[in-house]
Amino acid sequence: MAKLQRKAKGERPTFFQDPNVDKILSMVMGLAGEVAVLHDRLDTAERLLEKSTDIKRSDIENYKASAKVTAERAQWREQFLSEVLRIVEIEQEALANGDTQDYGDAIALVDGSSCE
Amino acid sequence: MSNALPATTQAEHQALPKTTHDEFARQEFVRSYKQYLVKNVHGGNQLAYEQRVKPKFRQENNRDPKDRFEVRDEMVNDPHYQMFSALLRTSQEMMWSSCQIPVQRELESLNKKLNKKRAKPRGSLRMDSSLEIPRYHKSVDIHCQPGGYHTEFSDQDASAGMVYDRAVHIYAMGQMGPYNNDIGASIALWLQETRPEFKPLRILDLGCSVGHSTVPYVDAFPKAEIHGIDVAAPMLRYAHARAEGLGKKIHFSQQNAEILDFEDESFDLVVSHILLHETSDKAIRKIAKECHRLLKKGGIMVHAETPQYKGMAPFDAFMLDWDTRNNNEPFWARSHEIDLMKLSKQAGFDPKKEFETMIPSAFQIAEAKRSLTFQGGDFGGGGFWFIYGNEK
Repeated sequence: MAKLQRKAKGERPTFFQDPNVDKILSMVMGLAGEVAVLHDRLDTAERLLEKSTDIKRSDIENYKASAKVTAERAQWREQFLSEVLRIVEIEQEALANGDTQDYGDAIALVDGSSCE
Repeated sequence: MSNALPATTQAEHQALPKTTHDEFARQEFVRSYKQYLVKNVHGGNQLAYEQRVKPKFRQENNRDPKDRFEVRDEMVNDPHYQMFSALLRTSQEMMWSSCQIPVQRELESLNKKLNKKRAKPRGSLRMDSSLEIPRYHKSVDIHCQPGGYHTEFSDQDASAGMVYDRAVHIYAMGQMGPYNNDIGASIALWLQETRPEFKPLRILDLGCSVGHSTVPYVDAFPKAEIHGIDVAAPMLRYAHARAEGLGKKIHFSQQNAEILDFEDESFDLVVSHILLHETSDKAIRKIAKECHRLLKKGGIMVHAETPQYKGMAPFDAFMLDWDTRNNNEPFWARSHEIDLMKLSKQAGFDPKKEFETMIPSAFQIAEAKRSLTFQGGDFGGGGFWFIYGNEK
């Protein structure tokens, strides 16, 4: 069977000093995506099992999420992304709250050696 | 509570490729990922700029950065901007990949289904295998879709269209409605509201791709004969199958908007939807001239784009310019700085009849009516589209 082209033609930009960091970030997000896929599959299986203990793979394939389930899953993904990308949120929260003091200032504050 | 899926869910239609349970979940993740970036990471760039980048620049230069180029020189070294950009680029690549997987799985049967001869088609499909794909489409794959709009991976291939229809929905995070038709629907609504006497009988959509923006004109102007042109064969094959599946009569033909084979003064309305920024300086001039040639007197040309950089704060212009270097949109920057009044004038239009304006999104208007708690969208300038055009 014919194969679709997988890479977009054009030089890929890099954003970090070491281009391997760009690649690792893509791997992390790729993995996060696959975790989300597993989550939905497990969620489907659980919902089916709540109705009947006799379920087949085809039942999972044919499952149609209702509006309620669709909304719950979207909410789960938002929470999940927030956990995975917590470190990015931390930096923004620090900027937003003016929490940008040099850590050395905190050490200097408690350092009583000048009193000796 | 109604059990209907939210209006930001893509409608299933005959041409749209089916997904397995996990393929759909993977696409849904990308959509949430993009939403997350808009909602929770994009704003950090402004914080980083105001609190880190600008103060440092001021200290060194005794002034603020004067334009988007100076902002860029500093921001590319900011760790938050680097992280945001790497995440956004990755989301774009994951979007295309997640949309390719179901198409690749059933490529042969999907192509066979889409190309099946229809007994009584409403519209038509006219192909030109000798048409040369413009260089500006071949140098890089626009907005990172592998193979771009035009590449054919098998005989009578429509895969680029199949991938694109789903990807547009994810890219817009559903904010263009169940049929991705918001840009066309918004222009049609704007025309009906601002020019109730204008009843176009022949309409042309330039660079129509899968015809998602063409379809709403069929509903808005039921008496009109509607044409859509594009250079890309896989898009048109899909567009035709899509329109027929939706029961919409549209005549598609494979042509370049720079040199069209339609007669002079044969259209009342010529439109395009985020096409111009995917062309070139030379092409955009030719396209404007073709619009002028094709329009009857009293006819209207309307092009939808994102807003021009003119008058924008340097930081905002810098952010809007992200796609130029990072999403394979080489003409994005330049197209946002073109003097549109001049463009119209060189094409033969009367500059007094030129317009540039923001119009409300038809989808967002409908959403606001559907739900009183609607908070407004993040896509496309927050519920508005920028249009530029001219009456003849």
